[in-house]
Amino acid sequence: MDHFKATKVVIITEQMILDQVAHLIENAGARGYTVTPAGGKGSRGVRSTGRAAVIDGFSNVKIEVITGSKEAANRIADEVTERFFDHYSGITYLEEVEILRQDKFALLIQS
Amino acid sequence: MELALEFFSRLLTQFQSPALAFLMGGMLLAACGSKLTIPDSIYRFCVFMLLMRIGLEGGMAIREADLSAMILPAVISIFLGCAIVIVGRLTLARLPGVNTEDGIATAGLFGAVSASTLAVAMALLEEQDVFYEAWVPALYPFMDIPALIIAILLANIYLAKQKGSKREKVQVKSIITDSLRSAALSALLLGLLLGLLTHPERVFESFYDPLFRGFLSVLMLTMGMEAWTRLSEMKRVAHWYIVYGAIAPLMHGLLAFGLGYIAHELTGFSPGGVILLAVIAGSSSDISGPPTLRAAIPSANPSAYIGSSTSVGTPVAIVIGVPLYIALADAVFGL
Repeated sequence: MDHFKATKVVIITEQMILDQVAHLIENAGARGYTVTPAGGKGSRGVRSTGRAAVIDGFSNVKIEVITGSKEAANRIADEVTERFFDHYSGITYLEEVEILRQDKFALLIQS
Repeated sequence: MELALEFFSRLLTQFQSPALAFLMGGMLLAACGSKLTIPDSIYRFCVFMLLMRIGLEGGMAIREADLSAMILPAVISIFLGCAIVIVGRLTLARLPGVNTEDGIATAGLFGAVSASTLAVAMALLEEQDVFYEAWVPALYPFMDIPALIIAILLANIYLAKQKGSKREKVQVKSIITDSLRSAALSALLLGLLLGLLTHPERVFESFYDPLFRGFLSVLMLTMGMEAWTRLSEMKRVAHWYIVYGAIAPLMHGLLAFGLGYIAHELTGFSPGGVILLAVIAGSSSDISGPPTLRAAIPSANPSAYIGSSTSVGTPVAIVIGVPLYIALADAVFGL
C-alpha cells in the first residue's frame, strides 16, 4: 500500500473545553479526531489520570487530529492557542506522520 | 456557664460521627503521602448514589407533604444565595491582594451548595432521629442557581467597567440549564421525580438506602484527600482566601439559622429543616459549581476559588458547621 505524508496536531488541554475544541477542529474541515485522558506535569502543576478529579471537567485530555492539509493543521493549532490558552491550561504541537488511506484524512469542504 | 459546657459536650459527640472521621482520615492519608487513590469512576458513582437516594426519599415523602409550607424556606434560600455572593463581593473581593474577579468567583462558590455536605448533615440527623420536612433537600437548587447567576453577573459588570466596553449579556438561561444538567443536580431531580411519580420503594429499601452510609464514607475520604492535595495551590494566592474560607461558611450558616428560626416561628418550619437550611447556606459548591464559573468567568484564577472552597470551606462547613448547627438547634429548640 502507498504511504502518504500528513500532519498531526496534538492538543493537550482541560477536558472542560473539549466540546469547543472539537467544534473548532470540525470547522477547520478535519474528518475526525481522537481523545484520550491525559496526565502529567506542566506550568500549572501536576494533573493525574488515576486519582478522582473531584471537580467536573478539571482533568486533562489529549486530542489528536490528523489532516492531509498542512494549512488546516496550522489553522487548528493557531486558533486553539489564540482562543483558549490565555485562560485555560494547554499546549499544542504538530507532527509529521505517514498515513495509509489518504481519503480518510482529506479535508471536508464546508458548504 | 452550664449551658455553654453542655453545648460543647454536645459539639464533641458530633465530632465522632463516621462521616467526619472519614473526611479527616482522608486528609491524614494525603498529608502522609499515602499511595491510596479512589478511582474517578467510583467517586462519580458515589456522588450519583447519594443524590439519587436523597432524591428518591424526598420524592416518595413529598407525595403526602404539604408543599405550601415550602414557599417561605424557598424564598429564604433564593435570598441567601444572592446575599452571600453580594456580601462576598463587598468584602473579600475588595481586600488587598485579592483579584476582584477571583474574589467574586469565590463568593459565588460559597453561595452555591455542596451536595456532599448536605448528605453528611442528613445522615447525622437520621442517626439522631431528628425530623425534617421531606422537601428540604429540594431547596438545594433554589440557593445554588441564583448564587452562580449573581456571581457571573457581578463579574461581567466588573470586567466591562475595567475595559470600558459595554458589558456582555449574561446568558441566564444557559447558566440555569448548565446547572440543572450537572451530575449532582440531575441525579437529585431525577430521584425526586421517580420518587414522586413511580413506586421505587423496593429498590430504595434494598439498594439505595442500605448503601448510603458506605458510599458517603468513601466520598468523604476522597474529599478529604482532595482538600489536602489542593492546599498546596493555596500557597500561590493571597492569605485572605484562607481567612474567608474559614469564617464565611459559619457566618452564612448562622445567618441561615436565624432566618430559618423566623420561618419556624411564622410557619412551623421544623428544627431539622432549620439545621439543613443552615448547612445548605454554609456549604460551598465543590462538584458542579466550579466548571460553571470557569466557563462563565474564564479570567478568574481557579486555584483561588477552588482552593478556598475545597481545601478550606468544605472541611470547615462539614467538621465545624454541621455539628455546630445541630448543637445550636438542640440548645434553641431542645431536640
